[in-house]
Amino acid sequence: MAHSHHIIPIRILTVVFVVLLALTVITVITARIDLGVLNVPLALTIATSKAILVALIFMALKYDNKVNLLAVALGVIFVVVFLALTFADTEFRGSMGITEPAIVEPVPESSGYDSP
Amino acid sequence: MISADTTLKHYFVNHEQQFDAAKLGMWLFLVTEVLLFAGMFVAYAVYRAWHPEVFLQASELLDWRLGALNTIVLLASSFTVALSIHFVQKGENRKVLVLLLLTLLCAAIFMVVKYFEYTDKFSHGIVLGAGFDPHGIIDGKDYSKYNVPYAAQFFSIYFVMTGIHGVHVLVGMGIFGWLATRVARGHFSPQWYTPVELTGLYWHLVDIIWIFLFPLLYLI
Amino acid sequence: MSDTSHNYLNAKKGLWSWLTTTDHKRIGILYAIACGAFFLLGGILATFVRTELGAPGETILGQDEYNQVFTLHGVVMVFLVIIPAIPGILGNFVLPLQVGANDVAFPRLNLASWYLFMAGALMAVCGWLFVGKVDTGWTFYTPYSSGASNAVLWLTSAVFVAGFASIFTGLNFIVTVHKMRAPGMTWNRLPLFTWAIYATAIVQVLATPVIGITMVLLFLEKLLHIGIFDPALGGDPVLFQHFFWFYSHPAVYIMILPAMGIISDLMGTFSRQHVSGYTFIALSSVAIAFLGFLVWGHHMFVSGQSALSSIIFSMLTFLIGIPTGIKVFNWVATMYKGSVWLKTPMLYALMFLFLFTIGGLTGIMVGVLAVDVHLHDTYFVVAHFHYVMMGGALIGLIGGLHYWWPKMTGRMYNEKAGVIAAILVFIGFNLTFFTQFFLGSKGMPRRYHDYSEFLETFPEFAALNMTSTIGSYILGVGLVMILIYALYSLVRGPRATANPWGACTLEWTHTETVPDEHNFHDTPLVTRGPYDYHLADDVFGPKKES
Repeated sequence: MAHSHHIIPIRILTVVFVVLLALTVITVITARIDLGVLNVPLALTIATSKAILVALIFMALKYDNKVNLLAVALGVIFVVVFLALTFADTEFRGSMGITEPAIVEPVPESSGYDSP
Repeated sequence: MISADTTLKHYFVNHEQQFDAAKLGMWLFLVTEVLLFAGMFVAYAVYRAWHPEVFLQASELLDWRLGALNTIVLLASSFTVALSIHFVQKGENRKVLVLLLLTLLCAAIFMVVKYFEYTDKFSHGIVLGAGFDPHGIIDGKDYSKYNVPYAAQFFSIYFVMTGIHGVHVLVGMGIFGWLATRVARGHFSPQWYTPVELTGLYWHLVDIIWIFLFPLLYLI
Repeated sequence: MSDTSHNYLNAKKGLWSWLTTTDHKRIGILYAIACGAFFLLGGILATFVRTELGAPGETILGQDEYNQVFTLHGVVMVFLVIIPAIPGILGNFVLPLQVGANDVAFPRLNLASWYLFMAGALMAVCGWLFVGKVDTGWTFYTPYSSGASNAVLWLTSAVFVAGFASIFTGLNFIVTVHKMRAPGMTWNRLPLFTWAIYATAIVQVLATPVIGITMVLLFLEKLLHIGIFDPALGGDPVLFQHFFWFYSHPAVYIMILPAMGIISDLMGTFSRQHVSGYTFIALSSVAIAFLGFLVWGHHMFVSGQSALSSIIFSMLTFLIGIPTGIKVFNWVATMYKGSVWLKTPMLYALMFLFLFTIGGLTGIMVGVLAVDVHLHDTYFVVAHFHYVMMGGALIGLIGGLHYWWPKMTGRMYNEKAGVIAAILVFIGFNLTFFTQFFLGSKGMPRRYHDYSEFLETFPEFAALNMTSTIGSYILGVGLVMILIYALYSLVRGPRATANPWGACTLEWTHTETVPDEHNFHDTPLVTRGPYDYHLADDVFGPKKES
C-alpha cells in the first residue's frame, strides 16, 4: 500500500501561525484608526488573506489533489454570485424608471382603437 | 492495533482510493457549510449597505477585546490541529493525543468567552428578536442610546451567525473528544488516520468562518 | 424469485434487512416506494384542485381549503417527489452500475439520506395533520408566511431536513463519479445519464444549503421576530425571495437535468446509434447547472426588485436556452437515420421531447421582462412549469422507470398496457395544461378557487377550465394504469433477460438480470464508449427482436 501523503514541516506550520497572529493584531489596530472608506476593504482583505493561508497550508490545499481546490473555488464563486446578484437589486432599487405621477392623456373616442 | 485491512471497505479498491474519496466528500461538505453561512453573510451585507451608520454604532457594543481573544484562541486551536495531523502522519500518537486535548481546551475557552458575552448582552436587553430593548450603562456606554431602528437587525444577525458558529464549535468539541479516546486506544496509524484528517478540515473551516465574523461584527 | 440466482433482492430477507440496508440498489427501491406514495398523495390533491376549478363557483372546496390543498400539492410534489425522485430512485440504482462501482462512495450516508428524507416528510405530514393547515403556497413568501399558522414552522423544518437528504445524495454521487469509476471508464465514456446526475449533484451540493439557512431564518422570524424578512419589523420581504429562489431556481434544474440524462440514454438505446453530440450533451448539462444559478431573479420581475436586476436576470435567462437547445437538437439528430424502436420507454422519450420543448420555449417567453409583467401569476405560468416539471421531469422519470424496470425487478411489464397508458398520459396531459396557456394569456390568475367573476368578460373560461379538468382525469387514469400494470408485473410479469433492450452501458452488459448484491462479479474493464452500437451487436448481448 503506497501512502505518500505530504507531511507539512513543523517550521512551515509555525510560520503560518505566527503570520496569522500578526495579521490579527494588524486588523485590530487598523480598524481602530479611522481610515474613512478604506476601513472595510482593508479588514476584508486581511480576513481573506488569513482564510487563504489557513486553507492552503493548514488544510493542505496547496499540496492536495486539485479537485478539492476546484470544489472550494466553486463554492466561493457561487457565494460571490449570490452576493453580487442580490446587490444588483438591493443597491439599485428605484434608481431607474419614472417614479413621479404623470397625467395620461385620455384616448379620443374616435381614435379607432378597440377598447379591450 | 487495528490492522490496515479491516479499515478498507469492500467497495474500494485500495486505501488510496478510499482516503481520496473520503477527503473529497469532506471538502464537498465544507462547501455546503460555506454556502450555508453565505446566506447569513449576504443578509449582513445587505443590511450593512442599507444602514452603515447603525451597524457601525451597534458594533461598538460588542467588546473587540473579547473578540480578539477568541480569534487568537481559535487560531491556536487550528495550529494544534495542524500539528496533530503532522504527528499522526509520523505515528507519534502520544503527541497527537496531547495536541487534540489542547484543541479541545481552546474550543472550551472559546465557548466560555462566548457564554459571558451572550449573558452580558442578554442581561441588558440585547436579545434575538422582538424582545430587543437595550438598557443600562456599561463602560460608560448608555445602552438605551443604542435603541435605534435596525440596531435590532444587527444583533439578530450577530446572534444567528455566532450562534450557528457556536453550534459548530460544540459539534467539533464532541468529535475531538471522541477522536482523543480513539487515539488513546491506538486506532490510528500513519497508514490510516482518515478521521483525524477530516475533523481537522472541519475545524479549520470553523476557524475560517470566525476569521470573517470577527472583523465584520466586532471591528468595522 | 425462487428460481433465479442469488441477487440483491433475495440476498437478505425481511423488512429489517431493507430498513438497514446500505446497498445502493435497495436504497433506490426504498426511495421508489416513498416517492411513489407521495406522488399518489400529490396527485390526489391535484385532482381536488382541478375538480374545484372544473365548474365556476364553489364546487367541492371553500377558498381556504383550496389554498391549503394547492399548497400541500406544491410542497409534496416539489420537495417530496420531483426533487428527490430521479436522483433518489434511478440515480441510486443506476449510477454506481453505470460507472462500474460496487456501491456509492459512502453507503451509510446514503441510507442516512433516505431516513432524513422520510423524517422531513413525516414532519410535513404531522404538521399538516396535528398542528394546522398552511396556505402560503409552496414558496412561503414573507410576510404572509411569517404571519401564518404555526404549521409553517413544521413545513420549514421539514424542508430543512429533507434538504440535507438531497445534499448527502448529491455529495455521494460527485465522489462516486470522481473516485470510483471502473478501470477504463474515462470521463468521455461516462453514460449521459451519469453525466446528468453528476451535474445535478453539483447543484444539489451548492444550492441546497441556502434553502437550509433560509428556512432557519424564516423559522426564527416566525418564532422570535428577528426582523430580517418581515416588513413590519423593518425587514425586507424581497430579500426572502432572493434567498428562496437562489435555491429554488437551481432546484428546477435538480428536477429537470436528471430527466434529460434519462432521455439521452433512451435516445441512444432505442435509436440504436451513438448519441449525437455526446460531448455537447454532457457539457451542456454542466453548463445548465452553472447558468441555473444566475437566473433566480426572473421569478421576481413584479416583486419590486430593482429594474437593473430585472434586466440582468432577464438577459441571463435567455442564455439557458443555448445549452437546452443543444440537447434538444442532438436528441432529434440521434434518431435521424437510426432504427427507432418504439417501445414504451421510447414513447416517453418522444413525449418528453415534445412536452419539454413547449415548456422550455414558453419559459423563454415568460423570461421576457415585459411579457412577464402581463403573464406573472397567471395560468400561463402554471402551464409553463407543469410542462417542464411534469411533462419534463416526471415523464422522464416514468420513461426511465420503464427502461430500468427489468433490471430493478427482473420482470417485464405488459408492453400493450404500457403503450395505452402512455397515450392516455399524453392526451390527458395536453388537455389539462395546454388549455391553461389560453387561460393564462387571457389573464386568469393562479391560486384562485373561483373564476365566476371573470366569466362576464371571458365566457370561454368555463369551457377551457372544464376541458382542463377532464384532461386531468384522463391523465389520472393513465397514471393509475401504470401503477396497476407495474404491480401486476411484479407478481406475474414474464422474466426478463439480462439485456432486453440490447443496450450497451455497463448495467446491462456486465450484470446479471437482477444484479448481484455486490453488482459485478469481477471489476469491469471498460474498452469502449457507452453508445458504441456501431460495434458488433453480439458484443452487447442479444439482437433486438422484430
